[in-house]
Amino acid sequence: MNLKDLLSPFFVWQRAFEKPYTSMRPTIDRPGAPAYRGFHINVAETCVGCGSCHTICQNHAIDMVPVEQFQGRPGDSGLRPRFDYGRCCWCGLCVDICTAASLRMSNEYAWITEDPTEFHFTAGVDDKAWQDNEHGYRRAEGYHLYPPKRIEMDMLSPEESVQSFDEVARGYNEEQAKKEADRCVECGICVATCPAHMDVPDYIHSIRDGDYEKGLQLMYRTNPFPATCGRICTRRCESVCPVGILGEPVAIRWLKRFIVDQVDAGEYTRILNNDAVVESGHRVAIIGAGPGGLSAAYYLRQYGHAVSVFEAQASAGGMLRYGVPSYRLPDADLDKDIEYIVSLGVEMNYNTRIGKDISFEQLLQDYDAVFLSTGLSVPSSMRIQGEDHPRVLSGLQVLADVANGRDPGIGRKVAVIGGGNVAMDASRVSRRLGGDVTILYRRRIADMPADTEEIHESQEEGCTIVPQAIPVEIVDAADSSQVTIKWGEAEMVQDPKGGRPRPVLQEDRMHEESYDCIISAIGQGSNLDYLSREIQDQLAIEWGKFSPGEYQHTGLARVFVGGDVANRTADAISAIEDGHHAARGINRFLNPDAYPNNNTSPDTTRSEGEQQ
Amino acid sequence: MTQSTGHSASLDFTQPEPVDLSSGKYVKLWQGPQHPGITGNMSLELVLDGDTIIECKTHVGYLHRAFEKLMERRNYIQNFTVVCRIAVPEPTFNEYLYSAAVEELSGIEVPERAIWLRTMNLELMRLASFLMWIGGISGAFGKYTVPNWTLAYRDYVLDLFEEMTGARIYHMYIVPGGVRAGMPEGFEERARAIMDGADKLLDQIERVLFNNVVFKARSKGLGIITPDMVDPYGIVGPNARACGFARDLRKDEPYLAYDQLDFDIVTGNEPDAYGRAYCRLLETRQSINLIRQCLERTPTDGPFQADMPNVLHWKIPPGETYVKAECTRGEYGYYMVSDGSEYVRRVHVRGPSYTHAIAVMERLAVGTNIADIAGLMVSLHTYPPEIER
Amino acid sequence: MNELTNRLKVDFDASEITERKPGLTTLKVAKDKAETLIRELRDREGFTHLNFMTCIDYIEDGIFTLVYMLHNYEQKQTLGIHVDIGRDGEEMVSIHHLWAQAWTYQRELREAYGIRFPGSPRLDEDFVLEGWDQIPPMRREFDTQKFSEERFGHREGRQSEVPRDHMKVTLYPNRGGDEQ
Repeated sequence: MNLKDLLSPFFVWQRAFEKPYTSMRPTIDRPGAPAYRGFHINVAETCVGCGSCHTICQNHAIDMVPVEQFQGRPGDSGLRPRFDYGRCCWCGLCVDICTAASLRMSNEYAWITEDPTEFHFTAGVDDKAWQDNEHGYRRAEGYHLYPPKRIEMDMLSPEESVQSFDEVARGYNEEQAKKEADRCVECGICVATCPAHMDVPDYIHSIRDGDYEKGLQLMYRTNPFPATCGRICTRRCESVCPVGILGEPVAIRWLKRFIVDQVDAGEYTRILNNDAVVESGHRVAIIGAGPGGLSAAYYLRQYGHAVSVFEAQASAGGMLRYGVPSYRLPDADLDKDIEYIVSLGVEMNYNTRIGKDISFEQLLQDYDAVFLSTGLSVPSSMRIQGEDHPRVLSGLQVLADVANGRDPGIGRKVAVIGGGNVAMDASRVSRRLGGDVTILYRRRIADMPADTEEIHESQEEGCTIVPQAIPVEIVDAADSSQVTIKWGEAEMVQDPKGGRPRPVLQEDRMHEESYDCIISAIGQGSNLDYLSREIQDQLAIEWGKFSPGEYQHTGLARVFVGGDVANRTADAISAIEDGHHAARGINRFLNPDAYPNNNTSPDTTRSEGEQQ
Repeated sequence: MTQSTGHSASLDFTQPEPVDLSSGKYVKLWQGPQHPGITGNMSLELVLDGDTIIECKTHVGYLHRAFEKLMERRNYIQNFTVVCRIAVPEPTFNEYLYSAAVEELSGIEVPERAIWLRTMNLELMRLASFLMWIGGISGAFGKYTVPNWTLAYRDYVLDLFEEMTGARIYHMYIVPGGVRAGMPEGFEERARAIMDGADKLLDQIERVLFNNVVFKARSKGLGIITPDMVDPYGIVGPNARACGFARDLRKDEPYLAYDQLDFDIVTGNEPDAYGRAYCRLLETRQSINLIRQCLERTPTDGPFQADMPNVLHWKIPPGETYVKAECTRGEYGYYMVSDGSEYVRRVHVRGPSYTHAIAVMERLAVGTNIADIAGLMVSLHTYPPEIER
Repeated sequence: MNELTNRLKVDFDASEITERKPGLTTLKVAKDKAETLIRELRDREGFTHLNFMTCIDYIEDGIFTLVYMLHNYEQKQTLGIHVDIGRDGEEMVSIHHLWAQAWTYQRELREAYGIRFPGSPRLDEDFVLEGWDQIPPMRREFDTQKFSEERFGHREGRQSEVPRDHMKVTLYPNRGGDEQ
């Protein structure tokens, strides 16, 4: 033992004069660090109720509960997370996975109450002192628990694509599809928004499992046009996909296409196992072999009803065949869908126009029910002088000619009037036929009703868009093979009632230009001439459109309607759902005994929604 | 002291015959499971002859939460919140090793910035843990001043964790794929100030504790681990280094950024409680030095997370791996087996306490005075949750 | 390492020799050769350190795979020895005489999986589960969730909705894939 070792410990006295480490509570407040993982904050208005927080919580501390202030709507389930602080471990994975970045944590860590049931609360809905705390944990920039960017689809370059009618989108390969499918958080919010309510998360799951047969079965539950919709669907689902809030939405459409592309058409019968259908003895007539009519045919066959389809054209598909160019939807893929539907024993009557070859009344007499899905086939008028000029073509006609392998005779210098998908299709088709294309549109590019992707691609392919251009008159050109259009610039004027801005012609800024042809594509209307006045009255038609009841039924018993002629959205997927739902309605009508819980002629369901 | 290479086959591992308690010559005494120290809830079943221990049995299970089983029922991301609980004073080593095993099996490369942030976190953790331990060894010998200093100072280190990771104890910061955030603004200066203070504190502790005649008298010669015990008993870390074994995974099989850091393995030549304590004091200083190096070299921009799949349905290719790191007590390891599903097939957590607290403790306790048993326990630096998992 | 594994292949019929990463190799050996192999690795090949001993339950194949992880400090090599045994009551040769901590592992494996190691000291003493009366809990068929549901209650008022189903009920009850 040395003396130093004996004395050294007395050094402790020196510390007696130092400032203590501890601070006095509660006189001195000690907030958590700025990134502290304290009590939860949810910005309930931003939250979409996807439930990813609930899914990732390994403690089962989060319930998704309905909240009065938030009703379900497209893109929002109406549910909000409720936290059980008896189970929470404050790991913050819920914050990390939150698709809307609405969930975060405050730096508050003290909560004292005598009532333990209080530690169970709906963040952002129940009033809590820390809800507006600016500090606390949130997901760091650049930190992700799922890939925010989608897998790029291989596309033909614009230089290549304008050379032919080959499909522009090349499709995912298996690796790409699995990676893209991996991004889905399986919340299912898209299902409500999809007009056909397809089982999106389930068929995406089947891609991850590599079970494409199961994927096909799942798709056919709600949509007998998967090859088509996998290419040209308007994909409302993607616009509400929560993954798209902070990143890019899951490429649901391309994934659907991938599944169909993996399965050979020859295998469909085995996979979808439709042999088990028991014939009911009922007969249903369908007018129009577009997506609505054939979708109805498919599901009616599932119920065992005999189906006859009447189609004025020489082939089935309606607008899908005659309106959608093959670089977006190749014939082979459309045929894959159609041929399978027809193969279920659907009787097809092509080149048969109702009202001419056979009367509507005759159908009513011969069949137990009739489904009308005749679409919008008449180009709308521009309502300007000279629009009947022989060098003015309709967009629909140009597209139909190309689909039928005829030359629409557009010449070289082409003007397209309109901003919808038909205008874009007509423009891009004209590019492929060697035309120089100028698109004249009344409003701004952002106002165009066409798919943004379509607008973008048509520009890439070299079409020139002239926005805020109002056609005024069409006159003969100096060169007799040409036509001249007079158009004026437009200013956008705010609607005092709060509607969308209106274009107003500026008469001092007029232009005049001659073209080899002008393609008019400003919209389509219906042709219901095949229905007698008397029947039209009973069917309640307004502005050339039907307003069907809950089960697509009309005022005339046994007549059901659907498709573009009966809905506002006028897209393939809505027509498909109309057909499916009409099939349900027709089956309820033909087979009321199968629905014991309903006193169910569809008529009785018109005003009061049914309970299952 | 020479480093043994071969395995000494001469050691006898047979268990002693139980003494006859009915003879009335012996007393059975339970030490624990509550410990006012840092050993965690563990108990020693002691048989005394007078005040000398003649038999010792370790009992664990008081902190058992079946982590390995829980991990088989949770997916890969969910497990990350579970593992930190396996060693309460050192959760970060669990976070790191779990993540490293997952990354190895799934072929994920962690970005440079995350590697440095992880290294710094592990060293901060070592510092915090050693500060707690120094308090423990001091308290175990009845000196209650130093624990007040070190445990309070440890809270300054925990402040740093709170700032960087969002939590003081269960940081959940190192996540498969990287880390959850970068360094907060101004962190470097605050961390440097705390390191400077820690240096001063260790100087004071060296004077007050390590030069303390009573501490020396009681800890020297207590619980001697002879070099021939090291491999047969699976002794690792400071317990092995104190008897001359220059083994440190940070040097021997470098992981993270350790091959880019400047440090030497600390070894000692007094394989008793004092020597082990002194080794740990030196390693605490070394840790402060490493933290300073990390503060200087950790990149402040760039990604801190690898490109990740969607963790909600993350499947990992079949395979198995064993990853290890040098924690404060030696080789800490995760053995992970994947069967290709969304759930891990098997995780085995290897903690140094498994042998230090049972096989080694039961042997060293025999012949020890009852007054020294707490000091002996702490000198082996054991955490029961990593035994029970 | 190759030289060694080749020799083990010849002398001990070691199979499934896999280099998992530099410094970590695993191989499989028959139960009756395991103890000799491990002893030889320890005494002659420098694998003096037993990292750990554990078990993987392959319930679907009816086997337990025992894993002995050995380390050679000199060569910085780790060797995982896999030994398959039947899941239902099959015994395994004890290695308690090779490392001081081995009996603890064996005691744990007896408690967690029900594997017996004849001759291993204190094998039947409770390890972490005092008074456990269920099947050995690490066996795959032991259901932790069920166990906890049976013993512990839930907080009152806990109920969760599935977003997708909730939306169907509230927004489009008569549509979608399920036939009504």
